Order: sequence, then structure tokens, then C-alpha cells
Amino acid sequence: MQGRDASGTRKRKKKMGIDRKRSLEAYLFLIPWLIGICVFFAFPIFTSIRLSFSKITSFKGLLTEWVGLKNYEYIFFYDINFIPTFLQVVYDTLLNTPLCMVFSLVIAILINRKMVGRGFFRTAFFIPVLLGSGYIMKQLLGMGVDGTTITTGIMVPKLISDLLGVSITTVVQGFLDRITVVLWKSGVQIVLFLAGLQGISGPLYEAARVDGATEWEMFWKITLPMITPIILMNIVYTIVAFFTDGTNPMVDYIYKMNFTNQMYENAAAMSWIYFLFALVLCLICILLMRRHMYDSGSKN
Amino acid sequence: MSAVRKMSGGRKSRAARLGKTFLLRLGFYFLLCALSFIFLYPFITMIVKSLMTDDDLYNITVKWLPSQATWSNYDIAFRRMRFRAYVWNNVIVCGAATLGHTLSCSLTGYAFARYRFRLKNVLFMLVILMMIVPVQVIIFPLYKQYSDWGWLNSFLPLIAPTFFGMGLNGGFFIFLFRQFFMGLPYEMEEAARVDGCGPLRTYARIMLPMAQAPLLVCGVLSLVWHWNDYFEPGVYITAPAYRMLPSVLPNLYALLNQENHTMIQVNELEGIVFNEAMLMAATFLCILPILVAYLFLQRRFMEGVERSGLTGM
Repeated sequence: MQGRDASGTRKRKKKMGIDRKRSLEAYLFLIPWLIGICVFFAFPIFTSIRLSFSKITSFKGLLTEWVGLKNYEYIFFYDINFIPTFLQVVYDTLLNTPLCMVFSLVIAILINRKMVGRGFFRTAFFIPVLLGSGYIMKQLLGMGVDGTTITTGIMVPKLISDLLGVSITTVVQGFLDRITVVLWKSGVQIVLFLAGLQGISGPLYEAARVDGATEWEMFWKITLPMITPIILMNIVYTIVAFFTDGTNPMVDYIYKMNFTNQMYENAAAMSWIYFLFALVLCLICILLMRRHMYDSGSKN
Repeated sequence: MSAVRKMSGGRKSRAARLGKTFLLRLGFYFLLCALSFIFLYPFITMIVKSLMTDDDLYNITVKWLPSQATWSNYDIAFRRMRFRAYVWNNVIVCGAATLGHTLSCSLTGYAFARYRFRLKNVLFMLVILMMIVPVQVIIFPLYKQYSDWGWLNSFLPLIAPTFFGMGLNGGFFIFLFRQFFMGLPYEMEEAARVDGCGPLRTYARIMLPMAQAPLLVCGVLSLVWHWNDYFEPGVYITAPAYRMLPSVLPNLYALLNQENHTMIQVNELEGIVFNEAMLMAATFLCILPILVAYLFLQRRFMEGVERSGLTGM
């Protein structure tokens, strides 16, 4: 009786030991990242939050004084540039993200087929990523000898613009410019969608074809539901990429606020408002998509 | 008789179907070519412009083909941006950062994929947060921190975080590795464990060799993103000796804009007017190394993307 009891506790103890050992092993793997996230992420974030609610009294050691919502008040009610710039970014993001999703999905589906010159097309669609999200792209988009941007390369033909009149042409041209810019920024998204499309098993399509489904039906009934996880990931990636992009006026403004005007507290408040918008947008997308998410039968 | 008619009818419909598929095919290729033209447009413009002479630049009839290609633009751009000196800075930083990302992010991703431990969900939320928080939000605290440590004007702020799984898009890479490792079967690891292989050795000898696809994807993306990044280097590095290639470009652009106002301003280098062609040559030189590297890795990169198991979220 006693012996059995003892063995039982020993067993339990041993099991707990294994669990704890596994847990320790996990933390062993996580050590570098844990250090990193404390030093390069969590601490700066706390400093940034603290800054946004206070005033710097001394730069040495970054001593601050609590001022409450004053910085937020400043950027909303006194800063004449913040709200227009912010609204512009909101508008751009809300417009560009869906456009980017649709176009990159269509292109991914197009180049997923077996065809001649597949390698060439795949490289071509990835070229803008190589050109950079950075300065090169920014300048290519916004400069030219005579002030024309490179986007105006794809122009509305003269004949059509004569027929439609100036105002409509401007709208169409604006839309074309936007599409071009969006396309240039969708290299990574195309690659991710391609990966997702490759992951859908072929027999599924074959079965659908045997049952007489058309390509169109197969897209809506098989392809789209199967890649919902990738769509979600792509949406989040796209929103963040647009937000941190060098061509984004808000990023420029926060940078200037920090390092040219040296109004660090206001810049911190500004970047938090900015970030909260991105976060809310991502959360809305996640919540909306969750209901329609394809579950791969969770093996884990 | 009727059989013949039926047969001929069948042939006709088959011919029609063939014609239809041919037309579809044609339209399909046309669409692809048009789209890839849009994608290649900035690239082509850059190369074409970089070969133009001064006269061609201001001649509006010359849009695509320069009347005579000049390579001297490249020579001038090469010397003006001190390419040979700066390219090594880029190579060092990008090489080290890529190495850091592949090492640390695979380790972290492995832990998240294979282990159950306390606070796992909370920590994974942090990874997601890392992906969402833009660096601009925390740039000033980071700057202050690095300046306190005396890290400004060195490569450390760009390289060190990558070895701890942070840095440019670190969260994305951790996520990538987690997805991949989650899709692998457990048997290999368990067999190694039974044979008495320790956790680190199991990881290094068994798991990592299987993870070539995500390692390659992580490596290529990290390399490309670091190469093109100019925001963080621009903040931390002001000393000329530690400049990186993309942050040399703004100076050249500024030079050009100046000239637009005064029209003729002689470059201090051998009295040549710095024009847009030279600028484009400089820009092209800037991405040339990464372009060559990508062309070599392109096929394997695409295969890697397809096999890195991003589908099974």
C-alpha cells in the first residue's frame, strides 16, 4: 500500500520533472530572443509611452516630468500638419491595401500556371522588391528632370483624354498612378500568395473538375477559402509595410519632428496615435477574417 | 452518312475549341506581358536613362533608345559615390545581419513550434506585436539607448539586434520559421532523443539541415531588406566612413536638385555637370550587387518559398 503510494508520487514527480525539463529547454532556445525583446523592444516601447505623457527635463539619463495628455492635446489641436497628414495616410492605406490584395492574388494565380517563361515572369514580378522599399523607389516615384514622376510613364492616351475631358482624365490618371505604385509594392505579397497556392493539393481541383466545376467556380469554392490564412497574413503585412514605408508622409513627419524639430515628446505621442490606428486596422481584419478562416484540421 | 456528318461536326467543334483556347492563351500571355512591363518599367527606365548623354536627356524625342549609349556615366557615378569604399560597408552589415537573422530567428521559431511552456501564448503575442509595431514608433528611445552605449556611428545598432531575433522584420522571420517547423513530422526528433541526443544537438544536427527552404527565404529577404534600408542607417550613422550605399544616394539627389535651380553647377569632380543620367547610373550601381545575387538565387528562392509551409497557419 505504502509502496504503491510512493511509486505513484514518484511517477508524478518524474512526470512533472519532464515537463519542467522541456519547459527549461524551450527557454534555453528562447534566451537570445528574450534578451533581444527586452533590450531592443520592450524597454524602448516603455520609454516611448512614458515620453508621450511627459516632458523631458534633462537629457542626461532622460529625466522626465509627467504632464498627462498635454502632448496629445498639442498634436491634435495645435499642430496644423498632423491631422491632414494622418488622414492622408488613413485614406491611402484603406484604398491601397484592398487593391494590393486583389492585384497580387490575380498575378499569383496567373503565374502559378504551367507556362512558357515562368521563371522570367516570376523574376519580373519580384524586381520591385529588389529595387527597394527604400530610398531608390522613393526617388524613382517622385522625381524626374522636368518634374515629371516616373509613374506618369503610363499615361492615359491623348485620344481618350480628349474624348473624356480634363476632370475625368485626372481621376483616371490618378487611379492609374495609384495602381502602378501599388503594383510595385506588392512583390512580397505575390510571393506569399504563390506559396499559398502551391500548398493547395491538386486532387481537390481534379475532383472538382470531374464534377463539372468551371475555373471560375473553382476559384471561389476552392482557391479562395483555402488561402484565407495567407490572405490574413498578407493583409497584416501590407498594412504594416505601407505604414513603415519610406514614401509615407507620416513617417517623414515623425522623423522630422524627432530629429529636425527635436520635439521628442510630441513625436512619441504622434507615433502612438499612428501605431494605434495600424493596430486597430489589423485587429478588425483579424476579427472579420476569423469567421471565414479555413482550418486545416490542426494537426498540432 | 450521318456518322460522317457527326464526325465532321465533332472535328469542327474541336477546331473551334482549339481556336478558343488559343485565343485565351494569347490573351493570357498578353496580360502577363503587360503586367510584367509595368513591374519592369522603373527598372528599364533606370537603365535606359543611365546610358543617355546630356543631349539625350533634354531631347524629348528620345524616350527609350539613347542616340548613343555612353558608359562614362557609370564611371563618374562610381567615383562620385565612392562606390568601392561604401559597398564594403553594405556587404559587412548585410552579411552579418543576415547571418544573425537566420541563426536567431530559426532558434526562436523552433522553440515556438515544438515546445509547450508557460507564457507561450503571451510570448507569441509579443512576436505578432513585433511584426506590427513600426520601428518609427520606437526610433527615438532606441537612438538614445545606442547613444548612451556609444554605439552611434558604428555598425553595431544595425547588426547586434539581428542576433537577438530583433532588427528589421525580425518578427516576420520568426513567424516564418515557426510555420515551417510546425509542419515537420516529430519522428526524426524523437528518434534522436531516444538515442540520447541533447536538445541543442537535435536542433543543430537534425532540424536545421531540414530547414533549408525557410533558411534560404529568410536569408534572401533579410539581405534584400537590409541592403535597401536607409531609415535606420540614416538615423544612427552620420560619420562618412560608416555610410551605407543607399544613404549616399540622398546626397546625390540633393546635388541634382540644386542644379535644377541654377541649371549649371560644376561638380567638384573634374568639372562635369552632374546630371540625371549619372544619378540613374549611381542608383543602378547601388542595387547591382543585390540584383546579381538574386539572379543566382532566384530559382532556389522561389522553391524555398513554396516549400516553407506558410499555408498551414
